[in-house]
Amino acid sequence: MSTSTPVKTNAVAAKGLWKAYGSGEAQVVALRDVSVEFASGAFTAIMGPSGSGKSTLMHCLAGLDTTDRGTVSIGDTALTGLGDKALTKLRRDKIGFIFQQFNLLPTLTAEENITLPAAIAGSKADPAWVKRIIDTLDLADRLDHKPTELSGGQQQRVACARALASRPEVVFADEPTGNLDTRSGAEVLSFLRTSVDEFDQTIVMVTHDPNAAAYADRVVFLADGQVVEDMDDPTADSVIDKMKHFEELVAAAQVKES
Amino acid sequence: MLRATLKGMASRKARLALTSIAVLLGTMFVAAAMILTATMDKSVSGVISDAYSDVDIVVASGDGENGGASGPPGVAIPSIPGDVLSQIQGTDGVDRADGAVEGEINAIGSTGKLVGTFAPTIAFNWTEGSDEDDFIEMREGSGPAADDEVAVSTKFLADSGLDLGDTVTAYSYTADRAEYTIVGVFGLAGGRDSTAGETQMGFTTAEAQRLLTGGEDLYSSVYVYGTATTDDVESAIGTGDYRVQTGQEASDEAAEGFAVVADFMGYIFLGFGLVAVFVSVFLIVNTFTIIVAQRQRELALLRAIGAGRGQVVRSVLTEALLIGTVASIVGLGLGVLLGWGLSQAVSAYMMDGLPVTLLVPATTLWALVVGIGVTLLSALVPAVKASGVPPVAAMREAVNPPKPLRTITIVGAIVTVVGGALLALGLTDNLGDNTLTGMLVGVGITFVGITLLTPILSLPLVSVLGAVLSFTFAGKLGRLNAARNPRRTAITAAALMIAVALITGIATLVSSIKATTSDVLDTSLESDLVVSGLQAGANTPSFSRDTLTELREVPNVQRVADHYQDYRGTSVDDQDAMLSSSENLEESMGVFGTAVTEGSLSDLDANSIVVDETTAEDRGLELGDTVEVGFFDGETATFTIGAVLEDYLITNGWWVSPDYIEHFAIPKPLQAYIVVEPGADVGAVEDDVAQVLTDEPEVNVTNNAEFVDQQTGSLDTILGAVQILLALAMIIAVIGVVNTLVLSVLERTRELGLLRAVGMTRGQARRMITVESVIICLFGAVLGIAVGIGLGWTVQQALEGEGLDQFALPWGLIVTYLVAAVIVGLLAAIAPAARAAKLNVLGAIAYE
Repeated sequence: MSTSTPVKTNAVAAKGLWKAYGSGEAQVVALRDVSVEFASGAFTAIMGPSGSGKSTLMHCLAGLDTTDRGTVSIGDTALTGLGDKALTKLRRDKIGFIFQQFNLLPTLTAEENITLPAAIAGSKADPAWVKRIIDTLDLADRLDHKPTELSGGQQQRVACARALASRPEVVFADEPTGNLDTRSGAEVLSFLRTSVDEFDQTIVMVTHDPNAAAYADRVVFLADGQVVEDMDDPTADSVIDKMKHFEELVAAAQVKES
Repeated sequence: MLRATLKGMASRKARLALTSIAVLLGTMFVAAAMILTATMDKSVSGVISDAYSDVDIVVASGDGENGGASGPPGVAIPSIPGDVLSQIQGTDGVDRADGAVEGEINAIGSTGKLVGTFAPTIAFNWTEGSDEDDFIEMREGSGPAADDEVAVSTKFLADSGLDLGDTVTAYSYTADRAEYTIVGVFGLAGGRDSTAGETQMGFTTAEAQRLLTGGEDLYSSVYVYGTATTDDVESAIGTGDYRVQTGQEASDEAAEGFAVVADFMGYIFLGFGLVAVFVSVFLIVNTFTIIVAQRQRELALLRAIGAGRGQVVRSVLTEALLIGTVASIVGLGLGVLLGWGLSQAVSAYMMDGLPVTLLVPATTLWALVVGIGVTLLSALVPAVKASGVPPVAAMREAVNPPKPLRTITIVGAIVTVVGGALLALGLTDNLGDNTLTGMLVGVGITFVGITLLTPILSLPLVSVLGAVLSFTFAGKLGRLNAARNPRRTAITAAALMIAVALITGIATLVSSIKATTSDVLDTSLESDLVVSGLQAGANTPSFSRDTLTELREVPNVQRVADHYQDYRGTSVDDQDAMLSSSENLEESMGVFGTAVTEGSLSDLDANSIVVDETTAEDRGLELGDTVEVGFFDGETATFTIGAVLEDYLITNGWWVSPDYIEHFAIPKPLQAYIVVEPGADVGAVEDDVAQVLTDEPEVNVTNNAEFVDQQTGSLDTILGAVQILLALAMIIAVIGVVNTLVLSVLERTRELGLLRAVGMTRGQARRMITVESVIICLFGAVLGIAVGIGLGWTVQQALEGEGLDQFALPWGLIVTYLVAAVIVGLLAAIAPAARAAKLNVLGAIAYE
């Protein structure tokens, strides 16, 4: 919608990312020279086994974590070297977040949670836009409820609405269906799909669930801190096949190392 | 299990430190109070035993106490005749026996007014014993050798503004003024100037007797030196009429009297120490509740792997025991230091530099018991609650939905009513001898009840207070957070409430007393100037009838109301009653502005009596009824009620005709109220009146405003002292606020992480915590002020019958405390807010 130019620009780009935790013998390298780009208006899933670095990658891309080496940019803004204030402002204005759990403030109503980033910024979210999202997510009659009065699926839908309310450059979703039953999970994923198709939203989702990944336009596979595969138009089966393959590859690599 | 407890504690150092400080402060004050009392007792008895160190036997008159109704007002009556002294001197085994004459007198200082504003002047006879006494140290000159010579204490010299060699005028109720030359100056053992602020004058025995016994050969006590036993002395003078004690017994008894001051101070400190302990209970309960809530998963895990309920309770209680013990021991140690410091201070400011010998009594260990006991008891409820955590909670995300407030509110209401009822009973004199205890317990119970009601009160109050503060979004979040766990907010604020309520209650009483006093003077009193004196010792200040006549003749004085008064041994129909009189009752009532409701003041005769409505009603008397009046000197007479007056504080009581003034203990006017001619300069008249009073050492002239200040000035000092002492409870309460905030920040780590992730700046996070803090503090202050006003109002209502008929709020103080609450809220938020701002966003949102 907003970026209706025919040229596909990148919403997020990372170049040569390195990230290590700890030092000396205990050092764990989470990201090894990762370069990846996420196109505007696309739904990308990041997959990989536990410890593959997929969450670290997302945190670095979203300005929640710092990188040791390499650059990250969101739209035209380079994150590298930004201070806490600038990063906070960037997260507030250009990024939407959906977490696996603890996504909402218990003291606020659903509506207040949805407009939270705008309220923090001291501005007002575009009412027409917010109404459209709320309608799409079928939350209109839940707006006055507190999170404790909502089901898990409804809570996550409220979180989705919040992520999109400020029309961010990109939405990062971290295992958004991890805590939900199949049906609620499907509803959330359908909405994410819709927001890409209809609202031209950019979404980057970390998941370990092949069925969730199947909703995406593209899957980036991470293993041992490196991008090992990039797959377009995934299906659940093709993703499962790939993952089996990686697990074998990783196991073989580990045998070789030891 | 113990190992798990200890490791757990090590990971919660900050929280435990804050809790410990509360226990520590409480224990410290309780211990200090006990040490102060014991130390002062010991130090005082040390000094008093100096006084009797070389005396073997002390003989005192039978009643031992002041003469009371049988003698001049309040002055000890020497009542041992000289021949008894001779008998003692003639007893076998008595080397020497000195008759001592002692009593209160008046001395005029260099300003023409009485020496010693707040303590009496004591006269005694200088004997051979005085020269040899270890207790009296001659500083300059010598003892009196002639009847017109006097030796005075260094304190007297300082207070009077006189010097060695000067002439000093002294008199008593029974003896006219005489002049004396100061020939000697003495101090007390240990380099002190006075025992408890009194000034002293040593006369020859004959002169002391002229001043105190009307010249009769009587003695207050006899100091016996030698090998004779008390039995020997008793058989010589006969038993019954006199008390014969060994020097040791006498000094013990005397010390007891003096130690009252120290005991009083000790009780005050103990009281405030206990308030501090009470306040720290809230803090401890809160801390342990939160610790348990946070450890829910850990405790559930322990339960899941096989720990019994009892083990969980013990685990929490062990933690409490360790904290209580360590904090109490440290508190005890600091309490010893504080007790020593306080003793020094009391000695320096209230006992003229009495040498202090530190004594830590065994009872101080009770402070330890209190500290540990309170900690354990406070932790018990959270501990039992902890044992109720189901093992399955280990597998779940911890959710602590706030529990409904119904039960706590009902219980709170009942407890409040019970406490209030007890208080009401005490205030309406239905508890007999237990009134004071009953009222204190009533106040305590009421506080507990209101504390239980605070959660339900917090809901509306926090919204209202918060609405003012939540003009930013962060502020709004802070308000919502404050309202989120009413129990926690309430208990935190309750600690603050108690301290503020006590201060406000006392301040309300003080301002009501002031308002009543100035109201009495403003509403009907027509006078512009008041002649009166402040009572220092047992002697009521008065002035001569001649001076009263002179006052009436001062230029521009229109009218004068004179007031004679007596309460010593006076009665109406055999019930104690205050008697008043005036030389011109009609004119005086005009000046006082007291209206006559029945009868008339114009046609009274010598046997007419006038009384106020309420007193007449209470006694079932009416105009024309007769009453039997008993006077100080034993005279009785029958009076007819000739007029009834409206109630008015100054004129309430019985007014007899001036013919009976001669039967009063002090047949002299105590006060005069002067009306200045309209248009005349009040200041100029005041100067003229002061001129007339130059020869009246006991009284001064003041205008109405000064008179109110003079009557109520000491109340401000008391209020100030109370505030300083309650500051301790305040500090503990503030620590409680910090504690609650730190814990809230920890508990809401993920929430904060989320807020920061979606764009909340550090400044906003800080603001959010600060608003929460200010709201909690304001809530506590508002509640405390409300409860304090209620408390003050209750007491004022109860005392209304005693003349406290005005209720006034201490507005200045109320505003000060509200502002202080905001400042305290800001300060308490500093550390927790910094913690919230420094939060690692990634760490906060990352799930395990």
